[in-house]
Amino acid sequence: MNLHAVNLAAGCVVILGISLVLFRAIRGPTSYDRVLAMNVIGTKAVLLVALIGFITGRPEFLDIALLYAVINFVATIAILKFVEYRRLG
Amino acid sequence: MTHWIDWTSTALLLLGSFVLLSGAVGLIRFPDFYSRLHAAGKNDSLALILFMIGLLLQSFRYGTVGLSAGIRLVLIVAFILVTSPVATHALSRAAWIDRVQPWRREGTND
Amino acid sequence: MTDYVLLDVLLLALLTITAVAAVAMRNLFASTVILSIYSFLMACVWSNMDSQDVALTEAAVGAGVSTILLLGTILLVGSREKPERAVHWPALLAVTAVGAALLYGTADMPRFGDPQSPANSSRVSKGYILQDVPKVADAAGHHTGPRSEGNYFHDHVPNMVTAVIVSYRAYDTMFETVVIFIAGLGLILFLRRRTS
Repeated sequence: MNLHAVNLAAGCVVILGISLVLFRAIRGPTSYDRVLAMNVIGTKAVLLVALIGFITGRPEFLDIALLYAVINFVATIAILKFVEYRRLG
Repeated sequence: MTHWIDWTSTALLLLGSFVLLSGAVGLIRFPDFYSRLHAAGKNDSLALILFMIGLLLQSFRYGTVGLSAGIRLVLIVAFILVTSPVATHALSRAAWIDRVQPWRREGTND
Repeated sequence: MTDYVLLDVLLLALLTITAVAAVAMRNLFASTVILSIYSFLMACVWSNMDSQDVALTEAAVGAGVSTILLLGTILLVGSREKPERAVHWPALLAVTAVGAALLYGTADMPRFGDPQSPANSSRVSKGYILQDVPKVADAAGHHTGPRSEGNYFHDHVPNMVTAVIVSYRAYDTMFETVVIFIAGLGLILFLRRRTS
């Protein structure tokens, strides 16, 4: 069972998923559609970095994936606070 | 012993890819923001959990480095499980306060 | 086509689409969100190239801080773009000429990871690459033992960036902490709430 090929195929599927969601980020009629697309692409980037770590044989990339999950959440909440309160503080 | 671990990991990755792609297709095709929020939030988190369990099964072949990788995978899953519902709720609340209207089928008044 | 090249090509195609979309949007808030997506994809490209520190920095700076600073700018400036969209011909010509010159220049670059390239085979680089790295530390973290007795890996620093920095670690870290402290101080002074 060639797990390397399976991981590579899963990486390509994740990139395909990112491109589909990108369409919604460009198109989305309301700004909340775009913020939702940013959140989803952030989660998929977490997945992609973890997969790249296993493809290249370095599980140290999981630290980066954990950081992305945190940054994704903080950026989403910050954008929503901006949109609701119209100020940054 | 390693044979069924490989097959289970492949099956989990395959299932996770299917859930991921169906969520992305739903994000394109659904008619309004709230239904897209359903598709994106649920499918995304589930796909991540399935992928991470599949990778956790694969990390056993790395020895002690795989053990720390497995712990980090579990940490990622725990963090996403906690914060993804919070982000989804914040999104839907912000959209509701901003008076984004849900989609209604033409001709009904429910 | 090897595996990282395949992922690289797909990610770069997505990056091109994202960059064109970020420029072509009229709503500046949408441009900000798409630039955040660009930064996430860029961080994936850096991870694909095996550089974890650059990927960490790109995620933290691009997707986190830069997005929020751009949002603060939109607060002050407003989120509509100016309606004039004519093509600026001198700028287009200059950009095309410089881009063509750069592409012509990259045709002469050495292969990715070539050991005979000038960066990897000059005397200074050899001095960094051919270092001896201690094998294992005892419980207190000290490396003891003479070099010739199997306590050191001969010529073995696995990462090129580490090979340079590990000699100058103290200077590097000290000045980087100063830079980050000044940046954080600037941000705090910039973004605090004025209660007056």
